Amino acid sequence: MNSFLTFSNDNIWYEIWPELALVLGAVIVLSMDLFSKRERGFPSMAGPFAIFFQGLLFSFHLFDYLAWHPTFDRTTFSGMLSQGFKGDVMRSFFLLSSFLVSILGHRYLKANLLRVGEFHHLTMLATGGLMLLCQSDHFLMLFVSLETVALCFYSLVAYDRESPKSLEAGIKYLVFGALSSSLLLFGIVLLYGVGANPEVWGARFTGHESMDPLSFSYLHTFLAENPDHLLLRAGVVLVLSGMAFKIGAAPFQIWVPDVYHGSPMPVTAFLAVSSKAAGFFVLLNLVQGPFGGISDFLLPLLGFIATFTIFFGNLAACAQRNVKRMLGLSGVAHAGYLLVAIMASMLFPGDSDRAVWVLFFYLFVYMTASFSVFGIMGLARTSEESEHDFSNYCNLAEKRPWMAFVLVCGISSLAGIPPFAGFISKVLLISVAYEAELYFSLAAMIIGVVISIFYYFGWIREICFKPDKLHDDDSLPVDPWETVTTSGFVKIVLISLTMASIVFGLWQAPFGNSF
Amino acid sequence: MELVTPHHFLALGALLFGIGFFGVVVRRNLLLVLMSLELMLNGVNVALVSFSRAGLNLDGSLFVFFIMTVAAAEVALGLALLVALYKRRQSVFSEDMSLLRN
Repeated sequence: MNSFLTFSNDNIWYEIWPELALVLGAVIVLSMDLFSKRERGFPSMAGPFAIFFQGLLFSFHLFDYLAWHPTFDRTTFSGMLSQGFKGDVMRSFFLLSSFLVSILGHRYLKANLLRVGEFHHLTMLATGGLMLLCQSDHFLMLFVSLETVALCFYSLVAYDRESPKSLEAGIKYLVFGALSSSLLLFGIVLLYGVGANPEVWGARFTGHESMDPLSFSYLHTFLAENPDHLLLRAGVVLVLSGMAFKIGAAPFQIWVPDVYHGSPMPVTAFLAVSSKAAGFFVLLNLVQGPFGGISDFLLPLLGFIATFTIFFGNLAACAQRNVKRMLGLSGVAHAGYLLVAIMASMLFPGDSDRAVWVLFFYLFVYMTASFSVFGIMGLARTSEESEHDFSNYCNLAEKRPWMAFVLVCGISSLAGIPPFAGFISKVLLISVAYEAELYFSLAAMIIGVVISIFYYFGWIREICFKPDKLHDDDSLPVDPWETVTTSGFVKIVLISLTMASIVFGLWQAPFGNSF
Repeated sequence: MELVTPHHFLALGALLFGIGFFGVVVRRNLLLVLMSLELMLNGVNVALVSFSRAGLNLDGSLFVFFIMTVAAAEVALGLALLVALYKRRQSVFSEDMSLLRN
């Protein structure tokens, strides 16, 4: 009992209250579905509760650190976690994104007759893991929270157990995900092995052996002292390749189109936004923390990866006919652009650095645009789930004007067309890359944006214009939009996401003086 | 003179890891792919335990428990997915996983 008391006093549990609340909510959601009287056709309350709970938690958390308890940098749980303003912004980002996933998911689950409780449970658990992941200050914490997230995502991708496509996407994601986390682990082992026995491996160290060799602060000093050590470099490369898998950067993007294609629509949106953002937040923490000392080695490597990712994503997306695969590959290209921001943040370290806030702004804009696009796509009733062709969107502007409006705004924001926020975020990214003198990546980015306009506009053309005249003997295709009923709440959310991407295109005051 | 140094353990761990990696890439049977993934994690575990012993630092040995737990959870999920997939497709071979294409 005494040891338990000291344990709970040493660790300030209050610091992770959003995660604890989220996990509590997840358990309540699961038990609501477990104990509800399903046989009487009683509608499950789990979905509305999950949406309401996450919305409340998000706004409460936002007020908490912005107004009530201004944040300061601190380390808790014996150096496992570190909190600060940056971490709180990341946590809010994940809460908002999981709130939106639950809203989209609720409607999708009802329409496809899938079980409700487990979906929201897994979404909330994954979000809790993501929130811990971006605050972790120790490789053990990083690994455990990464795997919490990954296990939730494997089951979410395969959520539609009746569909062989969803299952196939799940098993592919599991195999590639496990492969990448073993690469990450091997990298951590190399860093640990050299960090714990420097004299065995011929590394220099200046007497901080009392520190924890897996913590970020120890590795920062240790790597800065031994920037040329071969095993350490191999470890850093392996850790980065594990993270490159998460964000879908070029040599590790192989899973992206297949998994996006097969998974249920709200899960695709969750993968595209939260999972990718988590990868970037962790990368940011890594390059500014432990890997800060060897940026001379990392910059050319990341530059190569970013350029390759931008070209691969954009060129492969041009060839796709399936909209989900196209969006997945365009997400790969966006990952390439964001890697340039990571490189810029390495050149100007520090939290108040512009590159960090440009990265956050870009991800926020990407979130609003992606959720409006995936939200509209989730409303369509195609003949076979997960098969979204360009031709499904023929003449949508006439059939469903508001859906076409939301979709076109979302696509234009992703493409970076002037009045939308996507344009501003790309301009800011380019200006940061210019300041950091990353001219080569800058050129790749501009060429990539130009290529991307081709496939985004192909989609907009389908939405806005009538199809070519059919031959007499062609059978009329099934219209996926005929039976769509407009639900009030989803409509409000999608329209406000669109408004957000227009408003932030014209006015960036809340992101304030960092620009 | 110490006969077995951390270098040997690193070589052993890297060898196990490499064999596992090769298995994941080459094998067509998804059950064997899952086993190869386990082998990779075991290679990591060997290296971790030996480093932890050599450096007289318990963090590595602790890490191994987390890795084992995670590996068990991953394989449980993987087997469940494989069983569900086998019911639909009557196959566990990766060349039959070809529904997702452009």
